[in-house]
Amino acid sequence: MSLVNFSAREITCKIVYYGPGRSGKTTNLHYIYGRVPADRRGTMVSLATQTDRTLFFDFLPIELGTISGFATRFQLYSVPGQVYYNATRKLVLQGADGVVFVADSQARQLDENIESLQNLQANLLEQGVDVRAVPLVLQYNKQDLPPELILQQNELDDALNFRGLPSVPADALSGRGVFETLKAISALVLRRLSQESPK
Amino acid sequence: MSTMRAVEGWTVKPLERFVNEAGARLTLLMTPAGQVLAQFGFTRAVDVMAAAALGAAIVSSTAEIARLLEEPQFSALNHQGLRHGIFVAGFDSPRGRLLALVVYGTNSSVGLVQLFFEDFVRDLIAACPVPEERRPVLAEDFERELNQSLASLFRS
Repeated sequence: MSLVNFSAREITCKIVYYGPGRSGKTTNLHYIYGRVPADRRGTMVSLATQTDRTLFFDFLPIELGTISGFATRFQLYSVPGQVYYNATRKLVLQGADGVVFVADSQARQLDENIESLQNLQANLLEQGVDVRAVPLVLQYNKQDLPPELILQQNELDDALNFRGLPSVPADALSGRGVFETLKAISALVLRRLSQESPK
Repeated sequence: MSTMRAVEGWTVKPLERFVNEAGARLTLLMTPAGQVLAQFGFTRAVDVMAAAALGAAIVSSTAEIARLLEEPQFSALNHQGLRHGIFVAGFDSPRGRLLALVVYGTNSSVGLVQLFFEDFVRDLIAACPVPEERRPVLAEDFERELNQSLASLFRS
């Protein structure tokens, strides 16, 4: 739920980067952390295993700036992608204002992408939230890999994007598509605040 | 300089009273999703957000353990360090479930915090208004400003 402070004119929104293990969710956050000026971001908190796999979540707060007279902050979270961390994934998903689904573009990872998308749907539903009611952007990461190993945007759209959501081809390691993804989810989340009463 | 800050005004008086009586160094009042309603003692907003995210994570993970154990939800959790202790607790209010993260130093104790926390919850529940119908917040044409803000954010 977006938190709106009318007296201080501030908005805080929670965005969750979701997707299968090793699809590049944490890489997105690391890239954003590296590019955003220090005075407009907080400490990046990572609750990770010894091998740097996300155990609970990664967290990065950023200050977007002033929009319609409101100082706007986004709290970016990433969830652990591995199947057996579903309990913690559910916890991080609580109260999300928007979700970025980071898919792995490799053809051999298609089943994992579908499974993770279904898992997102199920976890939202368990919290009484219809996935169709949540601002959602799909990011097709690892598009820098050789063409014979990956699916193209139209192929991934066919397999994953049956609702015609915004989708962004990306290479999060180099940063390609990371900004566009953040821009797309920001616009969707804030659009809700301009159109209807925030819930 | 005051380091008290509240998103919702009704939280201020109960929070002021609590930090004075319990001797808390830092206190956050937040939602289970880690959104801060009121804070005391922090200077940088971004540090507040990180602390809130971690505090909410503690509460939600212990609640999940309680569920697995078929126990009722744990009401509070305390960790005692050498110079600081942290006390994390959840409670139900007319605004739904709320959480508090309290950091106290050697001038206070978990007993003192716990004692005044009960009053704090009572004060908050008494002060909490009935949730209002909320209205649209941003102007229709917000996207131009959003694009400018994001561009300046990612400027190399």
